[in-house]
Amino acid sequence: MTELSNNYFVCVAEIAAKLDQATHIAQQLSLTASNARAVALRAGERAAGFRPLTDFIDRLADITIKSSRSINQLAATLSQTSADKVRADSAIAHFNTVFIKAKDSPFISSLNAVYQRCQTKQRQLDQSYKRQIERLSEELVMLSNELRNAVILATLSRVEASQAGIEYQEALINVANNVEGAASKIKDHIHYSQQMVSTLEEH
Amino acid sequence: MKTHKLFESKSHTWLMFGRDDDKPNEIIDTNQYIVITHKNALLMDPGGIELFSSMLAAVIKQLPADKITHLFASHQDPDIISSLGLWDQALPSATLHSPWIWESFIKHFGMNNISYSAIPDEGSALKIDQVNLEFIPAHYLHSSGNFNVYDAEAKILMSGDIGAALESVDAPIFVDDFDEHIPKMKMFHQRWMPSNEAKNDWVRRVRKLDVDMMCPQHGRIFKGDDVKRFLDWFEALEVGVIRKPTAEQG
Repeated sequence: MTELSNNYFVCVAEIAAKLDQATHIAQQLSLTASNARAVALRAGERAAGFRPLTDFIDRLADITIKSSRSINQLAATLSQTSADKVRADSAIAHFNTVFIKAKDSPFISSLNAVYQRCQTKQRQLDQSYKRQIERLSEELVMLSNELRNAVILATLSRVEASQAGIEYQEALINVANNVEGAASKIKDHIHYSQQMVSTLEEH
Repeated sequence: MKTHKLFESKSHTWLMFGRDDDKPNEIIDTNQYIVITHKNALLMDPGGIELFSSMLAAVIKQLPADKITHLFASHQDPDIISSLGLWDQALPSATLHSPWIWESFIKHFGMNNISYSAIPDEGSALKIDQVNLEFIPAHYLHSSGNFNVYDAEAKILMSGDIGAALESVDAPIFVDDFDEHIPKMKMFHQRWMPSNEAKNDWVRRVRKLDVDMMCPQHGRIFKGDDVKRFLDWFEALEVGVIRKPTAEQG
């Protein structure tokens, strides 16, 4: 894991990138579910208990893909808000310099209305920024909770695989391993994204 | 940043801003110009982001901010108009006059409030209060979409990069010895301007105008006979060449 950056533009971009990777892993998980269904069908009655599990794997993949896309969208919005915030902060900083440099000008008060408008805009952007980070954080927690089911799913898959007979056992255990492995990788990405969100919250 | 009055009449005033001591060393020094009429003002080539605070502070010493209702960008370069995103906050009701070909490019600098008035290739006129200004085509000198501003009453031509020279921030405002000035501008014109045809077309156009002062965006202003000297020199100069400046050039 790379060192956390203090640059919040980079943080937002990294969250989007991590969630994009999570989407790809979830898509592979979906493929795993299809393969598992085919193996379970070939195994017939001996793998009858495995078949409903493939639906759960599918559901898990589906939730992860949808949630990752939603988080990605949130990250994109947050990135835009960050850019607007930088611009508003920069305008305020520039106006502050003008107020110092031209403090004796008879026309300096003509900037008051503009300055107040910029301050209002800055406050609104600050609020939006905080709200968007909260939502991002909530979405990550929700996805993380969903992924807890993956461990149970993998354990149940292994139990069912052991009853499917030697011919299909290895393939089905492989499915269980894939589910567990994919969930673990996605969790890592989420965990990293949550650390990034913490950095954004501190900003 | 220094302010210099170039012209004053009952209807309007021309000011030049430049020679900014506060600017970072790494960025080129620029001249900004403003035409102030009774109720309005046109700020020309307002400059880069780095210059914004000094520029607005200099302007605000002369007139209230909301009197600046028009901006002009001769072309799309960062030293001309990268401050747009900040002017957009300072002058939300203003109109920016700039070449039509750069509209979707210039907006990358940030333009949510200011209106864009696209100048057609053949140029156009702008009347502010009782003052008539003309946008004179200067395409390929150096930008492919490029205009000068001409004021027939003041006999001033704001020539953008034409006549520009690379000089220090303590250089005089006006050219005092044309021949001595040539080495400071020769390489700039040869390297930055790509077309002899466009150059000669511009010279022919400007010879028809009555110009007392030619005001570039970098360097010194040409006054009186030096305007004609510049046109003669520029007409004879081969542009669109890459050549290292040497002591013999000039």
